[in-house]
Amino acid sequence: MLRTVKPKNARVKRAMDAREPKETEDARTAIFVRGTHTGEVVNGVMKELMALKRPNAISFSKKNVIRPFEDASSLEFWSQKNDASMFLVGQTTKKRPAGLVIARTFDSKILDMCELGVDQFVSMAEFKTSKSTPGHKPMMHFASELFDTHPRFIQLKSLLMDFFNGEEVDSICMPGLEHVISISLAPAPALQTAAPESTQDDSKNLPKVHLRSYTIKLLPSGTRVPRVELVEMGPFIDFSLRRCQAADSEMWKAAMRRPKLKKQDVEKGVGKKRKNMEVDEMGDLRGRVHIAKQDLGKLQTRKMKGLKPALGEGVEGGDESEGEDDSSRRTKRRRD
Amino acid sequence: MDVSNILASHAAKYPSTVVEKDTPLVLDPGYLTVTDLNPIDEDSYKANLEEYLQSTARDGIQALLASLFALPTHPSPDGPLAQLPPPITALPRAKPLPKPKQPTKWERFAAAKGIQKKVREKKVWDEERQEWVNRWGRDGKNKEKEEQWITEVKANADVDFDPVKAARDERKSRVAKNERQRLQNAARSQTAHADREERKKDIEKTLAATRVSTASMGKFDKKLEGEKKLRGVKRKFEPTEISITKEKEASLAILSKLDGETRRSKREKGEDDTLNVRKAIRTASRGRGGVALGRESSGRGRGGKRGGKR
Repeated sequence: MLRTVKPKNARVKRAMDAREPKETEDARTAIFVRGTHTGEVVNGVMKELMALKRPNAISFSKKNVIRPFEDASSLEFWSQKNDASMFLVGQTTKKRPAGLVIARTFDSKILDMCELGVDQFVSMAEFKTSKSTPGHKPMMHFASELFDTHPRFIQLKSLLMDFFNGEEVDSICMPGLEHVISISLAPAPALQTAAPESTQDDSKNLPKVHLRSYTIKLLPSGTRVPRVELVEMGPFIDFSLRRCQAADSEMWKAAMRRPKLKKQDVEKGVGKKRKNMEVDEMGDLRGRVHIAKQDLGKLQTRKMKGLKPALGEGVEGGDESEGEDDSSRRTKRRRD
Repeated sequence: MDVSNILASHAAKYPSTVVEKDTPLVLDPGYLTVTDLNPIDEDSYKANLEEYLQSTARDGIQALLASLFALPTHPSPDGPLAQLPPPITALPRAKPLPKPKQPTKWERFAAAKGIQKKVREKKVWDEERQEWVNRWGRDGKNKEKEEQWITEVKANADVDFDPVKAARDERKSRVAKNERQRLQNAARSQTAHADREERKKDIEKTLAATRVSTASMGKFDKKLEGEKKLRGVKRKFEPTEISITKEKEASLAILSKLDGETRRSKREKGEDDTLNVRKAIRTASRGRGGVALGRESSGRGRGGKRGGKR
């Protein structure tokens, strides 16, 4: 635990205020940590991922004796000290070669972790193509049904989205969209499609994860939306899932709390599903109006002499319609 | 007019931008993310992995870009800015939500009275110097009285009255008062929350008690608008089958409690409960209590006299 510092001058106070919790948060800063031994592959992967994550990345260049799944206290300390909320720990051991742990924190406490093993890695330098500008937001593409069903892959998707793209922005510069990070899975064995209960046991036969990055090329298509072509940019990484630590349910609940919507926004319709309204292809707002169900009993059908109310009744007072109803009922009965 | 060949030639000239999938793609333009929930096609995956990955990614990104191009845009020097909708995917926060700041005593008063906050300008106009000067701080306007070279003093002032010192003391006391109020506000904001929670709980408890305190247990009370349904304590039952050791423990606990109860009640009531001592004293002393009875029995004569009077 760090000691609490009281700001002595305005500059320190500003720096401390910038670290205070905010309603809409900035992108997560990631710390890249090396374990006791990192092989060439892990070093390369971390370097490339850092290049993609920049400028929200801090590199720890020294080696650290750290085992995140056994004792995460150092991570929590670093998180507080550096105001970072994401970790990428690389380590190679005999038991777990080329391992990469992605960890996420909430309030400087470890929220969840996932260990990935690097099976194959091709660096950016191998692809002789133009690269994306550092600091630009990538577009992300996830392909597999498991990202919606399997808890391990739901967590992986959430972690990777947080790592690359977790910042809420209200607008984006269209020409600045330059690259794509695509995460796909190998075909799932049949048993994987239904979410299994024991996630620990089946980590052996979980499908592989393919991470690819592409730059986009926009071609004219004759319409407003251009045709997209992808050019591989690198890095090219194949992962396999290893250990994981799911989030504590209490902590997860606290982390998922959203700020209350402002009154102005609620009036504008943000946060609420706008029902029965859509913008059509021409850009016009179209609404659908539902009116009450028509009462077919009062429908005026063809007038027939036999259906007319009898002369003596149904004429008195203003209750003409009621009288008519009565009489029609009577006629029905008569017909029966 | 037949335009099909024109359309066909147009289609041949430009590649298609339409993406069709069995399961529709899940788009989240707020996070620039697209999720393709179609199962992986095993044959093409095995045949040519890279090509397959690239083609699925292309399809997904094409759909995402189509949704981005449909968003309303604002012009900017670097190109059009697309206004992104709020994201759909929920990601966990990195830090807890900021706590709302407690209003100061003045802010609360102002809110109650409907006083609008107005920003005081830091500079004020100096008529003599014909320029803007600081309201406070270096060469501040608030130090004007202390720094002027001549001061009017009332005729009946003390001999040792120092007008400069008086003005300075007054200003310093205002600063001190402000600081005191600031500290009080800080202290109040720290305790306020816990206190309020406790008070809220108290009020809720009292309200719950009053609501069932009518003869009909609140059944025929008028319901107020927005009144919540009263929630009682839910009964919980032990499982019918428990281990023998637990059952034994529970039974013994009940027995010991019973035993304790009898002993305690005996001690309270005294050994023999045929005579109600308190009632007996009250009757004997004619309701004046044991002390009076004692006094009466010691001084019989006086007591008798008094009795005679009556």
